[in-house]
Amino acid sequence: MRQATSRLVPRIVTLAALAFGTALALVAAATTVSATQPLNGLFRVATGSYFRMIYPGGGKYFKNPYSKDANKTYTLINGGTDGGLRTGVLQPAPAPAFDQHGNSLAGRIIQPTDFTGINFGLATEGIVPEISVSGTRLSGQVKGFTAEWNKLSFSQGGQVTGSYNAKTHSYVLTWSSKISGGPFNGFTGSWYLTGKFVS
Amino acid sequence: MIAGFRPYMTAARLAGYQVELRQIDAGVKEGDTTVAAALFGTPASANQRRFAARFPDFVAFEDQWSGIYPDMSGMLATIRNNLGNYKAVAALPNFILFPWFFVAPGAILLGALGLGLSRPGWWRACRRVLVALGLGLVLAPAAFQMFSRAPAGGRMMTAFKTIETRSRVERIQGYFGDMAVGQGAVQLELIPALQRSGLSLGEISSRYRGLTTFDNQWVHILNDMTPMIGAMSDNVGNYQAVAALPPFPLFPWFFVIPGLLVIGLAAAGGPGRAPRVLYARSSVVPNSLPKGVK
Repeated sequence: MRQATSRLVPRIVTLAALAFGTALALVAAATTVSATQPLNGLFRVATGSYFRMIYPGGGKYFKNPYSKDANKTYTLINGGTDGGLRTGVLQPAPAPAFDQHGNSLAGRIIQPTDFTGINFGLATEGIVPEISVSGTRLSGQVKGFTAEWNKLSFSQGGQVTGSYNAKTHSYVLTWSSKISGGPFNGFTGSWYLTGKFVS
Repeated sequence: MIAGFRPYMTAARLAGYQVELRQIDAGVKEGDTTVAAALFGTPASANQRRFAARFPDFVAFEDQWSGIYPDMSGMLATIRNNLGNYKAVAALPNFILFPWFFVAPGAILLGALGLGLSRPGWWRACRRVLVALGLGLVLAPAAFQMFSRAPAGGRMMTAFKTIETRSRVERIQGYFGDMAVGQGAVQLELIPALQRSGLSLGEISSRYRGLTTFDNQWVHILNDMTPMIGAMSDNVGNYQAVAALPPFPLFPWFFVIPGLLVIGLAAAGGPGRAPRVLYARSSVVPNSLPKGVK
């Protein structure tokens, strides 16, 4: 009887320890989840933000001769009339969306920027952008992100990741999106936005 | 596929693309010859070396253009040579309807046969339906001029075999990138260099018409060519789906042969057959026999 009890006690202790450990892990996970905060507001698109386009199959970047950067595979972009990308609301393209030459008139997110001789603009259509912060990490989606160029609209939506400094409100957001259909079918757009977040 | 190409498959539009390619070609040649000479003087060899060192993007494009121009021109010539074949196919009923041209007659055939067998009194009417159906199938290719249009479609499909491929479309997408860099070099480097040499924009325009036409027409070229590249890209899958169908010249026979078979079936179940069916049925109903009949 005593022998049986002496074998049982360590087992109970082990089980209790496991249960306690599991509970601690769950509490930690719950704490982490609760620390994720949605960032609804304006992600200002400041100097240093850019767009790149990668050829189908990867490995080669499209050169935009009209880029202001020394490396013409980087097309530099700056905040438009809204100052940048808004989360929680849409920033649709105006109507009409283009002038007679195919220059985009969508100027809220970025200033329409010359790409191979025709200005492209950005809009969010259909799905409202959502971005959250957890510690210094940003995550979310910009599925409605659309590039407009030469009387054509290209879905450039995707899942975003990035970093955020809560003290300075500086952020970096990156994502890439493969173009499906149209003249740039198979190309991938690579986006890098940086600036300050304003709630 | 046919609908996707419709906006671009006109003689005027295709001729317009050829004009645009000639404009780019004239600009490239002028840039490499008279403009290079104006900026760096002679002799040609030294001039070329200095020109290449000063304008590497333009010179790289000039080298690429020597491959792009014949390839694009050849492709456009192939498309233009098949304009008649395209129009012949476009005049056929929509490809989406084609399966129904077989499903609908099949359903009518089965329905008529089922009705004729289950209700012997209707057999004669069903035979008439089958004959009409057979005649319809036999005459449909003639009505749609399939005997001339389908082979034309076959020739078009063969000609487009090397054009509507993913690798070819990606190559053309690459050309677009090369042309964009070349035009950028003209507008951002060559023309400013000519201005710095003391020429006004008006003088540049009158002296170097090829170069300035390429530059001035670039946005129009982009507006015009980009949607065509999009249509080519978007229809690679559609082309391959159509190419996987049986050869076009066989299409009329897919109507004629089933039509003749249906007419033959109706003839085989002719007037001499139906009474036997009726008799066979009536013999199992002895109560209906008149008195005195054994």
